[in-house]
Amino acid sequence: MILQSLVRYYDHLIEHDEEDENGRLARYGYSPEKISYEILLAADGKVRAVRPTLDTTGKKPRPQLITVPQPEKRTAGIKSNFLWDKTSYVLGVSASSKRADREHAAFKALHFDALSDETDAGLCALVAFLRHWQPEQFQSPLFPDEMTDTNVVFRLEGENRYLHDRPAAQAVRARLLSDASLSGAGGEARGGRVACLESVGTATCLVTGAQARPARLHPVIKGVAGAQSSGASIVSFNQNAFTSFGKEQGDNAPVSEQAAFAYTTVLNHLLRRSPDNRQRIQIGDISVVFWAEATSGEAAAAAEDLISSFFSGGPDDAAETDKVREVLETVSKGRPIDRVSSSLDPRSRIFVLGLAPNASRLSVRFWLVDSLQSLVEKLAWHEHDLRIEPRSWTMPPTARRLVLATVPNRDGTKPKVEDAIQNLIGETLRAILTGGQYPLSLLSNTVMRIRSDGNLSGLRAALCKAVLTRRHRLLKQSFHEEIPVSLDIQSTQPAYLLGRLFAVLEQTQRNALGGQVNATIRDRYYGAASATPASIFPMLLRNTQNHLSKLGKEKKGLAIYLEQQIGSIINGLPPQFPRSFKIEDQGRFAIGYYHQSQARSPKGEGTLADDVDSQNSDGAEQGESA
Amino acid sequence: MSYGIRLHVWGDRACFTRPEMKGERVSYDVMTPSAARGILDAIHWKPAIRWHVDRIHVLRPIRFESLRRNEVGSKIPVNNITRAMKAGSTAGLANMVDEDRQQRASTILRDVSYVIEAHFELTAKAGSEDSVGKHLDIFNRRARKGQCFHAPCLGVREFPASYSLLESNDSLPESALPAGARDRELGWMLHDIDFEQGQTPRFFRAVLVDGVIEIPSWNSPEVKS
Repeated sequence: MILQSLVRYYDHLIEHDEEDENGRLARYGYSPEKISYEILLAADGKVRAVRPTLDTTGKKPRPQLITVPQPEKRTAGIKSNFLWDKTSYVLGVSASSKRADREHAAFKALHFDALSDETDAGLCALVAFLRHWQPEQFQSPLFPDEMTDTNVVFRLEGENRYLHDRPAAQAVRARLLSDASLSGAGGEARGGRVACLESVGTATCLVTGAQARPARLHPVIKGVAGAQSSGASIVSFNQNAFTSFGKEQGDNAPVSEQAAFAYTTVLNHLLRRSPDNRQRIQIGDISVVFWAEATSGEAAAAAEDLISSFFSGGPDDAAETDKVREVLETVSKGRPIDRVSSSLDPRSRIFVLGLAPNASRLSVRFWLVDSLQSLVEKLAWHEHDLRIEPRSWTMPPTARRLVLATVPNRDGTKPKVEDAIQNLIGETLRAILTGGQYPLSLLSNTVMRIRSDGNLSGLRAALCKAVLTRRHRLLKQSFHEEIPVSLDIQSTQPAYLLGRLFAVLEQTQRNALGGQVNATIRDRYYGAASATPASIFPMLLRNTQNHLSKLGKEKKGLAIYLEQQIGSIINGLPPQFPRSFKIEDQGRFAIGYYHQSQARSPKGEGTLADDVDSQNSDGAEQGESA
Repeated sequence: MSYGIRLHVWGDRACFTRPEMKGERVSYDVMTPSAARGILDAIHWKPAIRWHVDRIHVLRPIRFESLRRNEVGSKIPVNNITRAMKAGSTAGLANMVDEDRQQRASTILRDVSYVIEAHFELTAKAGSEDSVGKHLDIFNRRARKGQCFHAPCLGVREFPASYSLLESNDSLPESALPAGARDRELGWMLHDIDFEQGQTPRFFRAVLVDGVIEIPSWNSPEVKS
């Protein structure tokens, strides 16, 4: 399904040839590569000039992406590209390669073979250049030192287009490609390093169902963060253990070379790192790409924009936030999404693919196909499950921010996404997008973090609530009380009540001893109170009497109010303090604590310093968002 | 299909690996006919019979999960083993796992439950004492008792399958597939491997219709090789 949908998207993009250069897909046999320099040749083969083709718009000059004949897949062998390559192949000059002479010989051999009969001016110039070229001629001022080990292309003097774009060059390239596919048997010499993408015999392509020659190696996919820089593959059999029935490489999964080219090209296109690419998001180590299939191009583009604002819109962009909120509200009321904007079609299909790197392989972390309406409904459920009053965000947090909340909050530094458990990110994202249960380890990690950090921010409380609410709904746990969104005075859930009690006790202590206490009961006893309440609360209540009596001398009204609060909470508790709480109840404890601590006393006194804490940590998270 | 059988199979996890994503496993959405045949072979098989899967009922929603496992990167070559057999000793026949670690991620199915409808045919190797009725009886008896040659598995050996035979007057177990998920296009799926012709894979277009996948027969033109 995955490769098939990608191939279908490729066909769709090729058919509706995009206008701007960046969006245009390369045709079969070509791909965009990073080129740094171009060599200007005179008609007789002499080098006229060498010009950089760097893109200087950014902070530092970067090689430009130019569409050139697709590079050969080489790992340890010597295979030359056609009409372009790095300087060790083209000029025999390299700082890092020890076999530059052999590589240059291969380049020359390929071009002498292919171009010996050509009469085109540009190609003849190249042949003449190669005949007279010696690596010792690589000197400044003509050849700058920075050119070593970069990719170079050729251009005939007086022309606007590159050598490989000339019609004659394209014809030779097409001939070489079809020769390679016909002479499959000749290319399979074991131990020989002949450039060959094909294998012998035809088979059913498992992507298209057509009879075709299966590709032996698939083109690489670049752009997945964390994979090796030369590119990785989804379909790869680079180890013995991955092969079956004695088959080698591509025969293990017959995919025709057209299909292989199509899906890798479109995936590279979706993964490109350019500022105009809104279809790619990085969440942890997963590179997520998505695209839409709709009846009209406009509907597809609108759907893609909407999904990308869900994933990556930060709280700073007010217009996007408003749009997202409006869409979520409309959908949660059950109305179709085209009420918000007529360009959105609720039936457009959205495809989401999450890829994670593993050295030279890519693993599919998740794959999702859904209609736009149903996907937005699931996002609305996520927002609903996460909602806790008082809210500490303007827009529902993304999976990345959620998982950042489970990461250690070391003083002074922002939480880093590398510290998070990568599998948790993938599973949380899957839960958000499919409407399935959140991974239970999200709850246990959050609770663990709260206990070790001592920082109970709004986002962490919201996480506990989200996991519990969804479990309650999906598993139809009617024997448990539903988790309240805001402070619920009537609730009789013991863990929730004890969380509230703990907050009131802390408030009492703070009011009695002042705000400069070194260690409040929250710092000392939160972990033990939430895990084993029976051993901690009696002692806390005893100490609270001391605090109340001290407070009674200074602020009588406040003392009475707090005592009433404590009394009403204890009234709701069962006769005995529970001995221990399991993880779900520790989550409820955290939620109760958060609700109570955010509520203010009627006179506005007794505000707690952890308001400031939660704002700080949320500020850090907001700054980090996507 | 008066000689058909119906077997209810279920398990916590399953991985019917797609051939193109073998390195980092990704499962098909539903059970493949070859995995179904594997389960039936595990319960009863003789060279005299050959199982043909007719239909697969999908009873539970399709849910995926992702996990990473430490595995090994190479297999012991067959030549090493034959050499050891001829030499009569296993000296040097070893796979050093510590030097060969590969961490592979798998995207597997959770909580699967299927009903396999299948029948078998006698092959050329059937002798005079083999008959359809005899083998059918053997299969039914073994499936009722829970007997098998080796534990049937859901795609890979790590995920064992539990099974129970559905007698002819039993109704199908209740389906938990929600209404919106009962019809799906599943793309090209592996039908089975043609062992007689160089182990070539053969594919067919799988479509889930009202929770049921109709499997075309091995020789039909819908199965492409």
